[in-house]
Amino acid sequence: MFAHIFMYRLKCLLRDRETIFWTLIFPLLLAVFFNMAFSNLNNGETFKAIDIAVVDNEQYQEDQYFRSALNEVSQGYDRLFNLVVVSKDKAEQLLNDNLIAGYIVVETPLKLVVNKSGMNQSIIKNFLDNYIQTVSAVNSILTVNPSRQQELFNDLGNRRQYVKEVPGTKAEPNNVLLYFYTLIAMACFYGGFFGMREITDTQPNISPLAARINTAPVHKLKLFVYSMSASLLIHIVEMLVMLMFLRFAIRIDFGTKTGYVLLTTIVGSIAGNTFGAFISAIVKKSENIKVGILICVSMAGSFLAGMMYQNMKYIVAQKIPILSYLNPINLLTDAFYCLYYYDGFLRYTVNIGILLIFVIAFCLGIYFIIRRRKYASL
Amino acid sequence: MIIKVKNLVKRYGDLVALDHLSLSVREGEIFGLLGPNGSGKTTAINCILSLLKYDKGEIEVFDQPMTPESYEIKRHIGIVMQNVAVYNELTVYENIDYFCGLYVQDKALKKKLVDEAIEFVELGEYIKFYPKKLSGGLLRRLNIACGIAHKPRLIILDEPTVGVDPQSRNRILEGIVELNRQGATIVYTSHYMEEVEQICSRIVILDKGRAIAAGTKDELKAMISLGEKITVESYGISQEQLSALKKLPNIVSVEYNNSNRLLLIKSKKGENNLETVLDFIKKEGIQFGKIYSELPTLNDVFLEITGKDLRD
Repeated sequence: MFAHIFMYRLKCLLRDRETIFWTLIFPLLLAVFFNMAFSNLNNGETFKAIDIAVVDNEQYQEDQYFRSALNEVSQGYDRLFNLVVVSKDKAEQLLNDNLIAGYIVVETPLKLVVNKSGMNQSIIKNFLDNYIQTVSAVNSILTVNPSRQQELFNDLGNRRQYVKEVPGTKAEPNNVLLYFYTLIAMACFYGGFFGMREITDTQPNISPLAARINTAPVHKLKLFVYSMSASLLIHIVEMLVMLMFLRFAIRIDFGTKTGYVLLTTIVGSIAGNTFGAFISAIVKKSENIKVGILICVSMAGSFLAGMMYQNMKYIVAQKIPILSYLNPINLLTDAFYCLYYYDGFLRYTVNIGILLIFVIAFCLGIYFIIRRRKYASL
Repeated sequence: MIIKVKNLVKRYGDLVALDHLSLSVREGEIFGLLGPNGSGKTTAINCILSLLKYDKGEIEVFDQPMTPESYEIKRHIGIVMQNVAVYNELTVYENIDYFCGLYVQDKALKKKLVDEAIEFVELGEYIKFYPKKLSGGLLRRLNIACGIAHKPRLIILDEPTVGVDPQSRNRILEGIVELNRQGATIVYTSHYMEEVEQICSRIVILDKGRAIAAGTKDELKAMISLGEKITVESYGISQEQLSALKKLPNIVSVEYNNSNRLLLIKSKKGENNLETVLDFIKKEGIQFGKIYSELPTLNDVFLEITGKDLRD
């Protein structure tokens, strides 16, 4: 009997284009749109070498220390500057055309010419200040103690860091991940469409089809569980397709804990399916109203989890922290976030634990509603 | 008894949907439940099937109390709902196979039964069609096939011909008679008295949740005083002549409709009523065209008992 119901349920659900659209195609389309919208968001986090020019005058050619210092920071993969050596007129033209952030004129004192203030200009100025300061210090030391020239140059080559940078995580900072994590959480809860349909097709007070099924010699709860298994299988496969799409097509980083990412997705899918079934069982209104409620709750949960505005997640966490724990979409989002950023599992476990409590609550609610065998009205 | 219902009461708030309804269905008969819309036919069926709670009464099916857990009883019941109840995502064949599979687990037997059901409802050409591609009549036939494929001993058909064209309706009615001939007991609900009259061996007439009459169609017709309805196409008749006509023996009522010029005369049971009326018309020199006589219908039974038309 299980195989019979399960296989036919798979056929039914896989041919239900509307549900497949909402549970698979729609989240994938959103992922593509997110990718298009957020593709430049991370560029702000990546340092790009600054285009500068230096005026090719006599002093520049004579000052081998400055030339050497400037060339040193303008070479290699992690260089500070993209340097061009040009005439003063050419440098002026490049600056006017906004092709360089500024140009340096080697004279006494060193001169930096910029046409606006900004981060890049500050970095160039900082470099020049640092150079002037070092040259001044070297001159002073050599004036007082010329015999220690070699020792001084050795020291200059081995600058010590007195502050050590200790990363909180091995993960790279990423501004867009949270958006995609909320999208996965939302897609998990769109599995509610499957759960909703299971109730519709089981409750005789909702559909004539369910009334016919209830006259068959099959235990209602068994029928529901067999059908729900098919729903869950389809939705979990859909979610795996989505994860692979995000990972390999959009190149979203889920960190290194792949097994836990899959586990979280499966728990999310179960939560979404049972949530939809719960809504359908508890709301005694038309199918359209139930779908409306499912979409509204999922979207509101996604919004509060930061899907439309990333900082919303932190605002909620600060102002109404309880809401963070009562929003299952936020719990799922946060679980993915924890897996990516943190090495420890405490916060992740709390998120998944609360989510499982939600699942149990939904299942109990469904059980108490659908265990009824007779209805007051059909 | 296949079904025994005793003193069944079902209320929806203040509305009494079934008012101490009692009925019994015998093995091998086509039992008709006739009544206007809202008379309680579907409610009675849903109570019998243990889908609906009821306030009072007893229901036995196959001589055992019917409960939602009576799976052994349910195994022998086939139900054809008023609304078409099939999966739109499954083909004709898959739908029949799915519902049959809920009753029959032996694969070879199931396949045989499904093939027979398809042949029975003549949907062989449409087995790969999805329900949305079927016409209303074909859809109703699919609905029936899903309900009867497992060869149940008892088949309950709740208004299976609503919204069906006359050709499909006749085919459905012939099919029901054939199912009965093959051994199934049929419970057939309808508000179409012609259908019930055509196929049912015993009939209960429902009104406002009460069984107002029960018996074979002849027994039901014998319950009322109306014996004959005589219709005369008449081109002019005076009030005096109408009054005189009313005074003839056995005549119950006389009505003349000026717009269609039809004179409707209802008479009690008795011999030569038509001859008496004809003699009167000739004697009075009333001009007339067509003239015909009809025996009472179930609608007349309903009309005489309740004072209203079955189609109201």
